[in-house]
Amino acid sequence: MSDFSNEPVLELRRAPVRESLQEALRELDSRLPLEVPVLVGGDRGAVEGLESTDPGTPSRLVARAGRAGEAQAQAAVEAAARGFGEWSARPAAERADVLRGAAGRLRERRLELAALMVRECAKPWPEADADVCEAIDFLEYYARAAPLLETGPDLLQVPGERNTMRHAPRGVVAVISPWNFPMAIACGMTAAGLAAGNAVVLKPAEQSPACALALVEALRAAGVPPDALCMLPGFGDAGAALVRHPGVHVIAFTGSGAVGLDILRAAAETPEGQGHVKRVVAEMGGKNCVIVDADADLDEVVPALVGSAFGFAGQKCSAASRVMVHEAAQDALLRRLGGAVEVLEVGQAERFATDVPPVIEQEAQERVHGYARDAEAGGRLVARPERVPDDGWFCAPIVCADLDRDAAVLREEVFGPLLTVESVPSMEAACDAVDALPFALTGGLFTRNPGTVQAVAARLPVGNLYVNRGITGAMVGRQPFGGNRRSGIGAKAGGPGYLLQFTEPRVVTENTMRHGLVVG
Amino acid sequence: MPESEVEQEVQRIGRALHTALPGRSRNPVKAFDARAMELASRDAQLRAALFRLVDVTPACSSLDDLAAHLGAYLEEVGERPPPIEAALRAAHNAAGRRALGLAAAGGVRHMAHRFIVGESPEAALRTLRGLWDDGAASSVDLLGEATVTREEADRYAQRCHEALEALAEAMGEWPAQPPLEADSAGALPRVNLSVKVSALTPLMRPEAPDVGREDAAQRMRPLLRRARDLEAHLHIDMESLDALETTMELVFELLDEEEFSDGPSAGVVLQAYLRDSPAQLDRLLEWARASGRRPPLTVRLVKGAYWDHEVVEARQHGWTPPVFEVKAESDRNFEELTARLLDARPLIRVAIASHNLRSVAHAVAVNRASGADDCDLELQILRGLGDELQQALAHNGLRVRAYCPVGDLVAGMAYLVRRLLENTSNDSFLGEQQRGTPIEELLVAP
Repeated sequence: MSDFSNEPVLELRRAPVRESLQEALRELDSRLPLEVPVLVGGDRGAVEGLESTDPGTPSRLVARAGRAGEAQAQAAVEAAARGFGEWSARPAAERADVLRGAAGRLRERRLELAALMVRECAKPWPEADADVCEAIDFLEYYARAAPLLETGPDLLQVPGERNTMRHAPRGVVAVISPWNFPMAIACGMTAAGLAAGNAVVLKPAEQSPACALALVEALRAAGVPPDALCMLPGFGDAGAALVRHPGVHVIAFTGSGAVGLDILRAAAETPEGQGHVKRVVAEMGGKNCVIVDADADLDEVVPALVGSAFGFAGQKCSAASRVMVHEAAQDALLRRLGGAVEVLEVGQAERFATDVPPVIEQEAQERVHGYARDAEAGGRLVARPERVPDDGWFCAPIVCADLDRDAAVLREEVFGPLLTVESVPSMEAACDAVDALPFALTGGLFTRNPGTVQAVAARLPVGNLYVNRGITGAMVGRQPFGGNRRSGIGAKAGGPGYLLQFTEPRVVTENTMRHGLVVG
Repeated sequence: MPESEVEQEVQRIGRALHTALPGRSRNPVKAFDARAMELASRDAQLRAALFRLVDVTPACSSLDDLAAHLGAYLEEVGERPPPIEAALRAAHNAAGRRALGLAAAGGVRHMAHRFIVGESPEAALRTLRGLWDDGAASSVDLLGEATVTREEADRYAQRCHEALEALAEAMGEWPAQPPLEADSAGALPRVNLSVKVSALTPLMRPEAPDVGREDAAQRMRPLLRRARDLEAHLHIDMESLDALETTMELVFELLDEEEFSDGPSAGVVLQAYLRDSPAQLDRLLEWARASGRRPPLTVRLVKGAYWDHEVVEARQHGWTPPVFEVKAESDRNFEELTARLLDARPLIRVAIASHNLRSVAHAVAVNRASGADDCDLELQILRGLGDELQQALAHNGLRVRAYCPVGDLVAGMAYLVRRLLENTSNDSFLGEQQRGTPIEELLVAP
């Protein structure tokens, strides 16, 4: 993987770069609404039953999409089973070239795709651009990993015997992807399935069908046979039908814990006629804590916390939601963090000045408001900017302190712009509190003592611990990403070993001795 | 004057300045710093340990805590010289830690005092007056923590107002120092304050420069008024590239406002390590030509103090670094910009801020070759780093100004670390000079 490097994000501090993005957005707006059909093999289905809208201006229609149901899920798995034969027969190097070709197509369209995420998901420009780059990174990274599956690891060899191991594709992969990384995560799971030689049926989140279509278009145009990559825009029923289908071998899911556990239960069923046990790769929620020691540099802590908690309105599974600060630093931190949050600009994703965009939909807005009310009632409000636009699913960012230890808001994933702060008497106490949570996705630590870094890193169960920096923005190949405990099962995305989950190992042992002669 | 003659002048002036440099100081405090920095510039791991110690000192709650941090940093040094090994052993028990903490705190304080002239403008006045008597003007820079809230921005602005008042009151009483008080364009203010735009607003956003500009303008406007009324000079510092757009736009916008057409005297900074700096100078001069302001804009030419930051940030994002990566390219650009700046007078005033003997000699030579008087070129040094050069410049009748940071230890750490980084870098001119590089090499054209 030595020649892999991350796709560079745009240098948004340069005015001409910003202007090129605004231009791409104007161009996109002139073409809205987009049309997103159900794609099963070579068939293009209808484009009715599902609509995606701009979370910042809900009256703006972004895409008209088809709505897949059980029948389409059935047809898609059948098509994928056909496509699997053709796709898996291709040499890994050839499949890798196709993925690289898709990366090239995303690269050519990157401004337009970032603009699409601004509109369909209200993802602000820096994050939208990073999302496209991450999608490209997944394609390039897994393309490099795929050929290694064919040769397999070295095994112990003795005279007269030849042992080989390779990783064969499993069959049909169902990908259930979220809206918050509408290109990157859909692309990561899809590209991994395809790289390993499987066929994929993608069921994207109902909030972001147009982003998913762009991905499928790029992969098909680069040479993935239509049967080997189907797409089912739709709601939860389409996903439920897909994961229950006996023709599905692997389910790759990123989303909420409730849905994830439901998928795990459904996947454990082995109905008559299903000759395999399904494998599930699931990335679920988090309750991500940042620990701040007394010796931390608040000049750096405050901007890092603000970015991690409120960037993209906190709608990242890696987002910061709880701060545990050493009691000696609590007053100063609350004063400075509160002041920094008071000046945050809540506004439309398309404005470069926006710090906090709207949340994805009305239901999310209501959920966040509910938690905010509870936090305010059960604790002390530290900061909440007053100016929030009326139209659109906006939530004011909020910081609360002094909450009761048992408060739901300290245990449950809010997935919105809400941050709580609690003081701890020691780093050990902070570790205990993190350790008591069922989630273990990301975590953060600010300290200037190398000994503390070692001690805390040894104790925290989180999948990704970030020291002296923000806790979001994992990069493919640099921060393989994924949670432990109730946050997820499976290998880390964008890291070594991820593709193995989409394969089954096969070992061949050949006797190479015949009449006392070693012949092979 | 032909180029070869200018080059001969550069060599002649460079040697004259070199001869006028005072010998290595026998001041024990400076000797301690020099030892620590010498050690640090030889060994990257020791250097890291020293910087981390300086950086954490104000955040440590006790001597024991400080010693524990120092011990942890030294643990990470691979090959430890005997004094370091001894320090590490001391960190293993409480009494040792106290002694070690005392020594470390003292060392850091000494270093800070070398670079920072006082905790407040009032406290700095004695040093500033000493500089004045030695033939050096000053520019005061108020150190502070990063500004992340409105209150912090307000407080910084308030400190600036108070500093202007305090300096104006005290400096008004000082005796005349004619070489420092006027150039061909007119009188030069005694009071000179450097301000940072990032400290005047919590809304610096590299991808949205308008937001920070509008917010900072509300605090900058009253400062400009105060400086105008006190006949002080206000210099707007430059920081990392992320702040450049906000800073330049802010300066252009405010200075073009009617109420500032006659004052105050104001200045900006041009960073020669930026590949785009020639284009930035184009823009500056274009603005200066179009603006009808009476006091000429002062342009301070520096190499740039955020080199490591810019390179690391660019590498992490996969960008081409915005700075020259080869020192000679940066030095060459510095000389080209020097010539262009001097050529642009009287539209602007020029201040050349460098500790590189070659760059300074070059500026003096080009200035003289243009037929201008020495007083029409200001030379600037950083307090604590360029003290010896400052004396040599004053001794040679050149007009020199010392950049003097003011603030407490907590506020000063980021500044101190940047200065130490500069002083111990292998590429630094001062480092070469300290290592005893011969004058011929120090003065060679880049």
